[in-house]
Amino acid sequence: MEFVSPEGLRLDGRRPRELRRINCQLDVLSNADGSAIFEMGNTKVLAAVFGPHAVTRRSELREEGALVVCEYSMAAFSTGERRRRGKGDRRSTELSMVIRNTLEQAVITELLPRSQIDVYVQVLQADGGTRCAAINAAVLALAAAGVPLRDLVCGCAAGYLDGTPLLDLNYTEDAGGGPDLCVALAPRLDSLYLVQMDNRLPVDTFQAVMELAREGCRTISGVMRQALLEHTQRLAVARGITAAV
Amino acid sequence: MSAADAQGVCVGDRLGTTDTYAAGEGVFVRDGFVIASVVGFKRVEVPAAAGELPQKPTLHVASRDTLPLVPKPGDIVTVKISRVAQTAAHALIMCVGRQALSTEFKGVIRQQDVRSTEIDRVVIYDCFRPGDIVRAEVVSLGDARSYYLSTAKNELGVVYAKSATAGAAMVPTSWVTMQCPDTQAVEKRKVAKLESLVSA
Repeated sequence: MEFVSPEGLRLDGRRPRELRRINCQLDVLSNADGSAIFEMGNTKVLAAVFGPHAVTRRSELREEGALVVCEYSMAAFSTGERRRRGKGDRRSTELSMVIRNTLEQAVITELLPRSQIDVYVQVLQADGGTRCAAINAAVLALAAAGVPLRDLVCGCAAGYLDGTPLLDLNYTEDAGGGPDLCVALAPRLDSLYLVQMDNRLPVDTFQAVMELAREGCRTISGVMRQALLEHTQRLAVARGITAAV
Repeated sequence: MSAADAQGVCVGDRLGTTDTYAAGEGVFVRDGFVIASVVGFKRVEVPAAAGELPQKPTLHVASRDTLPLVPKPGDIVTVKISRVAQTAAHALIMCVGRQALSTEFKGVIRQQDVRSTEIDRVVIYDCFRPGDIVRAEVVSLGDARSYYLSTAKNELGVVYAKSATAGAAMVPTSWVTMQCPDTQAVEKRKVAKLESLVSA
C-alpha cells in the first residue's frame, strides 16, 4: 500500500506537512469546572476538569502543590469495531499516566497546595492521534476552568512512511507499520513536555520528524489560542463586561 | 475598557517586562517578562501615590471567574461548625474572604485557639454548637485531615446561630452570650464583635 502518491498526496488528499482540520469547542459541560471538545479531522476527544478541590485520598496529599489526577477512556463506539473496553486495560492506564505527567508539568501546581485537580478525557471518535488530541482537549479544559498554566501546551504526532516525514497521522497511516512520534510542546517556552515513539528511526531522520512534529504543535497552539480568546470574548459580551466589538 | 484591553489575553502571552510592571494575579514572571497564566482580560492597577517611593503599576489578568481559591495561613474564612468534640470543634470552610468556595475544605478549631485568655479552661460546647456560622482565621495548613483555625480575636467567632429550642436566629447580647428573640432563652457562644453591632 502506498501512503504517499507520486504527486505527493496522502491517502486523504493532504500534503505531507499538512495538519487535519481542527475544531475546538469550549464549556460544553455545565457541571464541570472546565470542559472542551477537541477535534482533529475525525478524531474527537472530550475533556472535563473538576477542581481544584480537597484531596479525596489523604495518602496522596501533596504539601508543595496540587495533585493532578487523570483518567483516559475510549467510548465503546469510538473505534471502527464497537468494543467495550474496561477502564483498567493496559493502553488506557498507560495513556492516563502519560497525559497526567504532561499536564502536571503544564499546571502551576505550586499555587494550589494540598488540592486535587481531576481531569477526565473521553475519546468519542478515534482516527489516529488520540493521545495528542487528548492532551490538547485537556489543556483547553484546564484553561477554560481558570487553572493557572505555564503555557498553552499542545500535542502533535508525526511519522515517516514512503521516505517522507508525515504530519498528524490518521488511523490508516498509523497502522502502516512506520514509526509514530508523539510530542507535547510548550510553544512560548519552547520546551518539550512529552516525547514518545513507536518503532524505530535512524537518528538524522528522527531530527526531521521531530522538527515537523514541533511545527505542528506550534500551529495547533495558535488555533487553540484563537479559540480560547474568542470564547472569552463571547462570555464577556454576554455578561456585559465589554461591549460587542 | 479601551480597545486594546477588550482583546483578551491567553495563557503564555507576554504582557510586559518586570521593569514596567509588578506581577499581580493570574500572571507569572519568567526571564524578566510578565506572562499570563490564565485566559482573560488584562487589568492594570495603578497604586495610589501614598508613599514616597514611586510604585510600579500592578498587572493582573482577570479570568472569567476568579482564580480557583485554596485557604492560606492568614486568610479570614467563614466556616460552618459540623461537629463539636471535647477538645476541638470541626468545621467546613465555605468562604475565603469575600469569595465563596465551590467545594468545602475541612477545618478544626482547637481548644487553645478559641480565645486568647484562659485557654486551658475553655468548654467547646459553650463556645460553638453544630450549625453555627463562624468567622475564623486560618492559622496553618494543619494536619492531613484539616486546616487549623483560630477565633482568638475580638472580631472572630460566631456570627450567626440558631437557638436550640425555637430555631430562630439569635441576637448577640455579649461576647459570651446570645439570646433567642422568641423564647428569650440565653445561650452561650463565643460571639464575634462585628463593627455593625458596636453601639455608639
